[in-house]
Amino acid sequence: MSGNITTTVTAARLRRIVNRTALLALVWLVVTEADTHSLVPGVPIVIAGAALSLVLSPDSLMAVHPMGALRFVRFFAVQSVLGGVDVALRAIRPSMPLQPAIIRYPLRVTGRWPRVFLTNTISMLPGTLSSRLDDEAIEVHVLDCSRPVMRELADVECRVADLFGSNLPPLEEEGAA
Amino acid sequence: MSWQWVVDGVSYVLFAASGFFFLAGSVGLVRFPDVYTRLHALTKSDNLGLGLAVAGLSLQSGSWIVALKLLLTWMIVIVAGATACYLVANSARDSEIEPWTGEGR
Amino acid sequence: MTLALQALAVTILLSVAIGIYRIERGPTGTDRMLSAMLFGTSGVALTLVLAELTRLGGLRDMGLTFALLGALTSVAFVKRAWGADD
Repeated sequence: MSGNITTTVTAARLRRIVNRTALLALVWLVVTEADTHSLVPGVPIVIAGAALSLVLSPDSLMAVHPMGALRFVRFFAVQSVLGGVDVALRAIRPSMPLQPAIIRYPLRVTGRWPRVFLTNTISMLPGTLSSRLDDEAIEVHVLDCSRPVMRELADVECRVADLFGSNLPPLEEEGAA
Repeated sequence: MSWQWVVDGVSYVLFAASGFFFLAGSVGLVRFPDVYTRLHALTKSDNLGLGLAVAGLSLQSGSWIVALKLLLTWMIVIVAGATACYLVANSARDSEIEPWTGEGR
Repeated sequence: MTLALQALAVTILLSVAIGIYRIERGPTGTDRMLSAMLFGTSGVALTLVLAELTRLGGLRDMGLTFALLGALTSVAFVKRAWGADD
């Protein structure tokens, strides 16, 4: 039994080593613009980088669901453009429409990575900016509190959960809407 | 009419839009009433400005690997920007800088 | 295309110039930090535009380095701001 567990742990560890080395090799190729003279020095640098990363954070970093990631990238691309357009228009319009407020959004998603990821994502979306993350909630600064912010945040939270391969019910099912 | 003509046309639009968002971000930084609203302007508008510039430059470079490198640079700026934005907003909250709520306008 | 790139470079510089106003006015140290963050993003954009304009690929490495340093400046600011309170 214990031998079986050890094998699983070793396999997971091996997969982690391979993943990180491959990722760093890809980054090296991109950063050097695939210059042929940089390939040889790249080998020890990539290996050293992968070793260092395993020493610094031996545990799995982000277990991202591939299809969820694809859906998330599409969502994020559209929303961050909308976010930029929204705030730019508010800034240049002579009337400068602002109705700021600070709200607390109770978290449903669990785990440190999904929560930190959600906190950072919120800051790039239209009209919202994370100002505090604690054990139960994210405190969000809102540019225009007449918008349905809580529902928008619940939607973002669902998408972040989807990215990490888990499911959250939409907020409506909890009777909050 | 060649392919290059289309690429250049799209690039012009991307560069013009990029410049617009950089300017709008700075205008927001000057006009907005408190540190939190200014952070909104900075984080979102400037990142979009950089993204549009990166898109235009990728088209102009005509090289996949250079386009990927520009994309990597932008991604680093986004992650760093979102993190910095949180840290600054958080430290503003900790030092009890009151958010502007529209009273006394 | 050279003209478009030059125009973009000048526009980015102009946006930095506008941002200087916020350093002058403050009122808090955090407000002034925002201008430094603006210079970070603008600096990356400007370096990348100049890389294309001058055909010096090495400037793209500089842009990448600026992007990485940008993260550290904010961390350093927040650490110092907290330290000052203690």
